[in-house]
Amino acid sequence: MNEFITVRTLLIENEARLKLKLICSENGLNRKITNNDLHRPGLALSGFVELFTSDRIQILGNTEIKYLNSLNEKELKQSLNRYMEFEIPAIIVSNDNPIPEYLVQTATKRYISILQTPFSTTQLTHLLGEYLEDKFAPQMSRHGSLVDVYGIGILLTGRSGIGKSEIALDLVERGHRLVADDLVIVRRKAEEILIGSGTEIAQHTLEIRGVGIIDVRRIFGIRGVRMQKRVELEVNLVDWSQGKEYERVGLEEQETDMLGVKIPLVELPIHPGKNITVIAETIAMNHLLKTYGYHAPKEFNKRLKDYMRQKDFIPIHKDLDYLKKDME
Amino acid sequence: MIQKRVTIENTSGLHARPAAHLVKIAGKFDSDIKILKDGLEVNGKSIMGVMMLAAEQGSELEFVVDGTDEQEAMDALVELVEKKFYED
Repeated sequence: MNEFITVRTLLIENEARLKLKLICSENGLNRKITNNDLHRPGLALSGFVELFTSDRIQILGNTEIKYLNSLNEKELKQSLNRYMEFEIPAIIVSNDNPIPEYLVQTATKRYISILQTPFSTTQLTHLLGEYLEDKFAPQMSRHGSLVDVYGIGILLTGRSGIGKSEIALDLVERGHRLVADDLVIVRRKAEEILIGSGTEIAQHTLEIRGVGIIDVRRIFGIRGVRMQKRVELEVNLVDWSQGKEYERVGLEEQETDMLGVKIPLVELPIHPGKNITVIAETIAMNHLLKTYGYHAPKEFNKRLKDYMRQKDFIPIHKDLDYLKKDME
Repeated sequence: MIQKRVTIENTSGLHARPAAHLVKIAGKFDSDIKILKDGLEVNGKSIMGVMMLAAEQGSELEFVVDGTDEQEAMDALVELVEKKFYED
């Protein structure tokens, strides 16, 4: 998670998208933004500065500008002097509204940048809010491989050397897409969505024991990779150990918590001869079925219970008597 | 080799949860475990097999256990059935 971004970063990264123009204070660009919220300072301008959230980016929309223009010179100076006493990170004026000369003067003196955009306040709030939320999103790193399997983001985890990269490679070979290997950066978006991506240096390379580093994008082409993917499932690969209990039916489902978001966890024991790639594909499709409302273990159990409840109970194997006459 | 007949007493019969419980216990022992019902014989360590018995309340099962730890295995299985799979 970013502790802060500078106003300069915000300007550079949004200059084109938000058509931002720097009106004044080059020095103000070094101020820090520590908060992803935006504030419209209507009340603060009119004099009520209690609870004024001055640490947020200030948006001056039609209302604020119209209000300032309605004041006489003395009132305007009084209002702005009080307002500009606070350590404001930056001011953005929407709708290309004309900016009162005195505001530009005080902002320059106080080293507070004023930016101007042609976008409406609503559009600006939406676009800038999205950008800031992304910048300040909580994030963590996980050791594992993230692969998009049939549109489901599967995070493969497990001890080093258990074969995560090999399975990722196998999945790519079968037409799935690698997001990141070894180091996966997971960010939380919109409170309940986890987005995983790789690092800038790694760029879809992975290490295969005995071979070294290979470049998946170069070998398999653009269809074998993607930049980021929602993390929807964790598949934890564990060494098979005799005597340990593993899930047999699938009625009990495990969950894992990442950044406060819970996602299903599948603990998969592996041993030689087991095709984990096909199992990973099956886990993805099974997850899709569940999201579409079909839960195989539940349906199976329902069928079994209904069967046992029937009055004229016919054992299953006798049901198939007719098959004896079927010579094919 | 030892054999024993038991009656399923829990209301909903041997559905997925009790079946899973049974194979978990069976899996802890080295002995071969067979379960018979109405002429159908299944491996007691296979979840699908055990569920295929479709053993409803009141039905009779026969456990056939063979191996070094057959007595312990039989005791554990019988106890589970008698305790109604800790369900009711």
